[in-house]
Amino acid sequence: MTASPIAVTGLGLVTAVGIGAEDSWRGVCAGRSAARRNPELEGLPVDISCTVPDFDATKRVGRRSTLVHDRFVQLTVTAAREAVADSGLDPKTWDGARVGVVIGCGLGGVSTWERQHRNLLGEGPGAVSALLIPMLVPNMVAGHLAMEFGATGPNFVTATACASGATAIGAALDLLRDDRCDVVITGGGEAGVSPLIVTGFAQMGALSRRLDEPGAASRPFDADRDGFVIGEGSGVLVLEREVDARARGAHIRARIAGYGASADAHHMTAPDPEGAGIHRALRAALADADVAPGDVDHVNAHGTSTPLNDAAESRALRALLGTEAAVTSTKGVVGHTLGAAGAIEAALTVLTVETSTVPPTANLENQDPDIDLDIVSKAPLDRRIDVAVSDSFGFGGQNAVLVFTSA
Amino acid sequence: MTAMYDKLVDLLVNHFKVDRSEIKPDVTFEDLEMDSLFLVELLLVVQKELGVQVSDDAASPRDTIGRAAEVIEEQAAAATSS
Repeated sequence: MTASPIAVTGLGLVTAVGIGAEDSWRGVCAGRSAARRNPELEGLPVDISCTVPDFDATKRVGRRSTLVHDRFVQLTVTAAREAVADSGLDPKTWDGARVGVVIGCGLGGVSTWERQHRNLLGEGPGAVSALLIPMLVPNMVAGHLAMEFGATGPNFVTATACASGATAIGAALDLLRDDRCDVVITGGGEAGVSPLIVTGFAQMGALSRRLDEPGAASRPFDADRDGFVIGEGSGVLVLEREVDARARGAHIRARIAGYGASADAHHMTAPDPEGAGIHRALRAALADADVAPGDVDHVNAHGTSTPLNDAAESRALRALLGTEAAVTSTKGVVGHTLGAAGAIEAALTVLTVETSTVPPTANLENQDPDIDLDIVSKAPLDRRIDVAVSDSFGFGGQNAVLVFTSA
Repeated sequence: MTAMYDKLVDLLVNHFKVDRSEIKPDVTFEDLEMDSLFLVELLLVVQKELGVQVSDDAASPRDTIGRAAEVIEEQAAAATSS
């Protein structure tokens, strides 16, 4: 049996620059950071974030949403509905047993956890909600999507910290190649902008302290970068075999051609300084996609804006790909959405391939002289992109790389 | 209906996003799409908001709102008299 390529036929996004793929894409291409002062973080060591503005969960998800869904589920359900509608597939008529759901999430329902913990300490056990556990556990997001779409096939959540969304999409690709599913709804969702989580990242020195200039704080690959800006959001794709997509006349946005994963086995949080783990995942992904390193036209980089990540990542990219590929980091605009990042960036990479447009890296004013890559800044770059890479790395040393090709 | 019924209706509207016009004494929790997990949560909210001690089997999804209000009223009265 000749394996069919796997097609991306649906796409949904919720980011700090827009609810919906169209607004998110426009915002990312505009290249202005969404980071703002966040009143909910007032008094903490870091009080800036890239938060999804004006998200009305009751209106978008349902009247009981605020009662039963943590925000990470609300954001993901919203992106998933957009992705499924975009695919043109009809959940009322599909064979649900052949539809899988794989979502990446690094944290789970942390704001619910914090609120209920305050209730426990302040008012006692009687004030703790009976819905705490179903709102808290990270896998619940995939469970909600199963109910939403009648998707009764394989259903799980991946946790590889900031690579979770990319790991999920890689696992979804495998489910289709292994013929365990005909359709997989996959991506990532995270809502980690909570006082405890932000303080935790601040205490470990991972966040930018450019608090007086929030819009300039997330500056991937810039010489003056000093940490990431935390964000939230969701990106969801619908994947299916290209032969099936063509048979039903679906619009194919791009192909997902390869996936590679590795572990650094180096340190809890610091990347291997030589980027050896990144290098291995990248090589594996390119081999899986059957493309040569020199064929890569574009990289949507992990590019967190931390000194360590951007140095190690750029070293690995330079060593394997050279300097021809047009590199961007969309975290300059939408911040670092943790477990959602790999999925949001995968969706943006699909749009880059589809529209031949590479969005600029926000705030790249003075490229770090040690970073020898062609990084797109200031304005979107119009260029035909046939082979694109989206790479993601998680605390814990977990690396996941996806390869997308033009349809 | 009783004052307890009115309080219960307010809780259902404010905490559980039930449309006020859907609530009637002979409507069941099931009719309002409230399953057993919601009922556990409802009884927790009743205890917290109304300061009334109720047993965790005071209401089930097939009970009517009117009946649940009566049971809560009875249990509240029993608790204050004992």
